[in-house]
Amino acid sequence: MNDLRKRPAGGRSARWTPWVFLAPYLALTAVFFVYPFINAVLLAFQQTNGPRSHVWVGLDNFRFVLSDPDFYTALWNTTVYALVSVFVQLPLALGLALMLNAGRSRLKGFFRLLLFSPNLVGQIFVGVIFSVIFMPRYGMFNQFLQALIGWGLEERWLSNPSLVMPALIVTSLWLYVGFNMIYFLAALQNVEKDLVEAATVDGAGPWRVFWHVTLPSIKPVAVFVVVMSTIGSYQLFELPYALLKGFGPKNSGLTIVGYLYNTAFAAGDLGTGSAVGWILALIIAVISLAQLRISHAARE
Amino acid sequence: MTFPYGKAPFWILVLTLLSASVIVALRTGRTTERPDLVFCIFADNHVAAYRKAIAEFEKTHHVKIQLQMLGYDAFTSRLQSAMLTGAEVPDMVELLISTMGYFTRGPLEEVGFVDLTDRLRKEGLYGRMVEERFSVWSSRGHVFALPHDVHPVMLFYRRDLIDRLGIKVDDLKTWDDFTAMGRRITKDLDGDGIPDRYAIDLDSKGGEFLQMLLLQRGGGLFDAGGSVTFDTPLTADTILWYLHVMRGPHRIGFEAGWGQSLAKAVNDGLVLFFVCPDWRSKQFELDVPNLSGQVALMPLPAWAPGGRRTSTWGGTGLAITKACRNQDLAWEFAKFLYLKKEELGERFRDTSILSALKDSWDMPAFDEPRAFYSGQPIGRLYAGLAPRIPACYVSPYTQLAGAKLTEAYLNAAEYFDKHGDEGLRDFIDRELARCAQYVRTVMQRNVFLRPEAPGSREGAR
Repeated sequence: MNDLRKRPAGGRSARWTPWVFLAPYLALTAVFFVYPFINAVLLAFQQTNGPRSHVWVGLDNFRFVLSDPDFYTALWNTTVYALVSVFVQLPLALGLALMLNAGRSRLKGFFRLLLFSPNLVGQIFVGVIFSVIFMPRYGMFNQFLQALIGWGLEERWLSNPSLVMPALIVTSLWLYVGFNMIYFLAALQNVEKDLVEAATVDGAGPWRVFWHVTLPSIKPVAVFVVVMSTIGSYQLFELPYALLKGFGPKNSGLTIVGYLYNTAFAAGDLGTGSAVGWILALIIAVISLAQLRISHAARE
Repeated sequence: MTFPYGKAPFWILVLTLLSASVIVALRTGRTTERPDLVFCIFADNHVAAYRKAIAEFEKTHHVKIQLQMLGYDAFTSRLQSAMLTGAEVPDMVELLISTMGYFTRGPLEEVGFVDLTDRLRKEGLYGRMVEERFSVWSSRGHVFALPHDVHPVMLFYRRDLIDRLGIKVDDLKTWDDFTAMGRRITKDLDGDGIPDRYAIDLDSKGGEFLQMLLLQRGGGLFDAGGSVTFDTPLTADTILWYLHVMRGPHRIGFEAGWGQSLAKAVNDGLVLFFVCPDWRSKQFELDVPNLSGQVALMPLPAWAPGGRRTSTWGGTGLAITKACRNQDLAWEFAKFLYLKKEELGERFRDTSILSALKDSWDMPAFDEPRAFYSGQPIGRLYAGLAPRIPACYVSPYTQLAGAKLTEAYLNAAEYFDKHGDEGLRDFIDRELARCAQYVRTVMQRNVFLRPEAPGSREGAR
């Protein structure tokens, strides 16, 4: 009988072999994940000034953030943006994907590229372009509105606090609808045609086919897109920063990550920035879990 | 002999060792070639003049100076990060006024720049330079940078159109005079209900324009001791004036934006005046050369008859980092760059920026008429106003205070749009008090700036 516990050939050196292979991964994880993670936890309870000065302040950073009206402005703005992402941007993306999936045109590939292409240029570039498009008097958007409805020539989309969020949403729709459309399109192309044909033969109209066949089939992808879109919305930073050259008047374009940036880097208070980071992580975790639970319950 | 773990791990190991050796070799080479001073700047209009000065300094002092030019945002964030983490920083840097506060938010001994106070005193530079400009680069009575400029403010105007409208700019002595004139000339010329000619370009959010006007009036965000001072009746009065200029049916101001957008608005005659610190005068000259001879400059109208006819806006300063290995050499170079009279005259010709060194204003370049500005000797005009610029005090919380002043202004604007003048003044007072209190609360949280500060050494680890 073979001895199962027999040492592999090579003896002691062979015993260390797995650790040698694992060492780079473990070292990188320790340096770039475990250490920063522990440091970020500690930092949230400290006030710092550069690398030399750390003062323990207990829960003061959290207390300050949770009593700061600017934090709630940021939370409100981010939540509005996330809701628009989920309830406006994603249905639009799905609608476009359905249209592209249904059509048999040779131009399908062209439209797919056209709708996806804004995403290739990146948020900073889009932010800069739209800051020109929204310019009062000379901006393309303002001139278009004036020609179309006789209003909007002098509107200050980027400096009127009540117009900043609509401007940000318009820009993000242009940027992200095509991106999310690609996910939906990929999912739609995997919907079993037999099921669709069977439903059609049984007399189901397009709406019922969509509701009872297509939607359940693309649900895993839809849940993924909703969760990722929500997480992405709560991490929004570059687009408002580039579009508004800051975060807008009266913090009207301030997002939670923008608030984190302001406290940690613009004001140099890394401790409070770290506290904001943990609060943000908690918010994202709670929302993502809730979304997954809801979709799970719906499936059952 | 074979490698016990197979071919692939063997080659990975070889590649790792090779690339590590190359990196080490390159770094060693770089260390030996390190110049005596590394000088980092963000303003591209300084490059040509500085290169010339560096060549001369290198020749006379037998040293090597490396000039690095970065975009402003990249430069600032890299410097801030490097200072935060204790990473390598240049020996000397040029900073913008708005960023200085960031570096002075901790205990004095931990400011990353060399304290220049004693050197300035010893060399008698307080008297030779515009003293008010040191306030911008100071924290708790210590100066951390040498001021590059004064940045007095004037009003730019379309001389051709203003002459045609029969307006004499010499009569616009106060802002009340200006507003009255503005109401006459702001007009809807084509009858579509939207004005096609405004008197002045101002920021619709208040922003730095409002702060500049506040400074002119003797106010400001902070006092010399670093206390918040914008919740005063003076600020409320200024906001009230600004609101009536920028909003409502009798508005005379329009936000034309910056750069090409402003250039087009002035070119089209959409705005006839704009606020013009010295640095903006050259920029505009380059942007709209076709307006040569059709424009001119005038002093700012005063807030009261006989009052101050200028203000100040922006600023650059030169700081020596504590990491600098040869601080005496850096100081010599700083003086060579900022205090050499002849060079400064030449530099004014190229940039139209007025040096903080008063002696340099005697140079012929300042008396030269500029064709673009209808033959005005703009150097003399700016230099004439420079001694009257207000002191501007900065704090680590200048940006926050500026944002909160803007917030107060915009809330007042919303109130004004809804309710008009009724109760407006009280509302502004309340808003200013609320916003100033917010800044004070944030400031009080900074344990490093408290009188009983942990002093960095005892309280910090």
